[in-house]
Amino acid sequence: MKNIFLRTTGLIMTGLIIANLFVVISGIVISDEIDNFEKKTNSLHRFNLTLEKEVANLGSLKFAQEQAKEFGFTNSTAPQYIDQLKYAQR
Amino acid sequence: MKIKFIFLLFIAFYLAIIIRLFFLQVIYSPANKSEYLKTNKLYPVRGKIYDQKNQSLVLNQNSYQMYIEPKKVEDKDKLLQLLSKSLEVEEASISAKLDMSKYWVAISGGLTQEQKDKIDKLNLKGVGFDYLTKRFYPEASLSAHILGFLGKDNQGEDVGYLGLEGFYNRDLRGLPGFVETERDILGRPILIGVQQRVEAEDGRDLILTIDKNVQEISKKRLLEGLDKYQAKKGCVIIADPKTMAILSLVCLPDYDLEKYYLFDENFYKNLAISDLYEPGSVFKPLIVAAALEEKKIKPNDVYNETGQVAVGEYNIKTWNDKYEGKISMTRILEKSSNVGMVYIGEKLGNKKIYDYLEKFGFGQNTGIDLEGEASGYLKPKADWYPIDYATVTFGQGIAVTPIQMIRAFASIINGGYLMKPYIVQKIVSENKITEIKPKVEKRVVSQMTSNIIRKMLVSTVENAEAKWDRPKGFSIGGKTGTAQVPIKGIYDASKTIASFIGFAPADNPKFLTFVVLYEPKTSQWGSETAAPLFFEIAKDLIVYYGISPTR
Repeated sequence: MKNIFLRTTGLIMTGLIIANLFVVISGIVISDEIDNFEKKTNSLHRFNLTLEKEVANLGSLKFAQEQAKEFGFTNSTAPQYIDQLKYAQR
Repeated sequence: MKIKFIFLLFIAFYLAIIIRLFFLQVIYSPANKSEYLKTNKLYPVRGKIYDQKNQSLVLNQNSYQMYIEPKKVEDKDKLLQLLSKSLEVEEASISAKLDMSKYWVAISGGLTQEQKDKIDKLNLKGVGFDYLTKRFYPEASLSAHILGFLGKDNQGEDVGYLGLEGFYNRDLRGLPGFVETERDILGRPILIGVQQRVEAEDGRDLILTIDKNVQEISKKRLLEGLDKYQAKKGCVIIADPKTMAILSLVCLPDYDLEKYYLFDENFYKNLAISDLYEPGSVFKPLIVAAALEEKKIKPNDVYNETGQVAVGEYNIKTWNDKYEGKISMTRILEKSSNVGMVYIGEKLGNKKIYDYLEKFGFGQNTGIDLEGEASGYLKPKADWYPIDYATVTFGQGIAVTPIQMIRAFASIINGGYLMKPYIVQKIVSENKITEIKPKVEKRVVSQMTSNIIRKMLVSTVENAEAKWDRPKGFSIGGKTGTAQVPIKGIYDASKTIASFIGFAPADNPKFLTFVVLYEPKTSQWGSETAAPLFFEIAKDLIVYYGISPTR
């Protein structure tokens, strides 16, 4: 009777220790994942801001002016028809 | 015996743990809590600002503050040398900040991601970075006075100053949140511990009525104008006269928004909303409109312009002291006759003049959504002398701001509605878009009066004494102004404020533009400085808006 009680208690204790170990390890793994996700979220947020800056720069008037200058649009597209309507009406 | 000994050992061991835990959790609880319970403020992202076509004017950008922990530094000289090269600053300036007796020293703020990455690669011991965000302006200082800037208050918190940043600070800044988590020694969250998170509410974005292309046109032309006419400063305001939505507002000189702290406070002042000046002849159409509305005059009524007019002890004359004899009311505007305006003022009557000044909103804030607006000054009725009623008819003796002037002028050409000028058309939050609609403050003149004054102003441009290089085929209305600047109570003839206010197309105005040049040197007259500048801007706007010629 005593042996059965000791064995059962031993088994329960062993089970609890294993379960405890599992919970602790799982907790650490999940904590690590949370930590990693937090870092990734922050990093993505910063990357987003960098991309937003690049997009804004590409849409800026300064960039458009640089491109226009590079392709030689600035002189040839000067609208002449305002003062000389005959050109516009041709 | 052995079992008893082991049992007692275990009891002692557990007792020690319990006592230690009791000390940690009960006796030293508050002090030790901070070691594992972390409460961090979650900063909201400040709202962004876009122009009417959703092109960005203000964004947020990554920024880093570099710090050094001197106790961890291995080779100070090498560190200084490498940092000096990376940051492009003198070694001495870093060295001056680096106090080796301290544990933590801030070295440089506002570093970009690229600069941080560059320093990270050097793998320097004791060097770290704090993450911050800063405002980024893709169009640089294109709209400096409209936007305002982001500074710090005395608590070290971000706060917007002037312009939209100041006016909409509450909307833009958002609400901070917090996160409270129990962390282990490595900083990882403890799942069975306290986990509380209240998300920050990001700031609201602003969508403006400003068109950055129109803004670019005005700034470019104003810069050329200041240079060409050697003016001290100047402003261009472009608005939709029907709604008073501001399409562009530029004053020069302005300042660099990212380095606002390098500029004197005078540069921050938005002349368009905060500078009081005597408007001069651009004011005349308002008095003419009032007289038309009160049926005191008709456009073709005749006035006999014979010479100077005496008002009390003062003599009022035309700008060139030349007189044409019998002229119509329209001609009074065309030749900008001061004596003719005194005649119209007399017909209108002093009481009505004052009433209309109030109706046009002078002496009151326009309510434009920019921080720093001045209300102008309209002295109490009791303080008005007969000469004041005479001079106000041609825009002297009254102090107005450019924004008040353009608003009042818009009301006489848009059918008679005095509108509230505005710059923000939408406020966008995460789950709501608030639209700001044009607001009619009051009706000042009738549609009929408005139609008549528009025609008179077209005639004023076409038959003015100065001949301008106007865009041909388009009907444009407008009026020049040259106001003398009072210095210590005396008008200095050499110092003037030259202006031109005009609109196109005259039948259905798409834009109303007000150009003001302060103390131009090439000529003191608005007709020779502000007017040509206006027509340059008008040509660009006609092309930009694709307005067809009508003649």
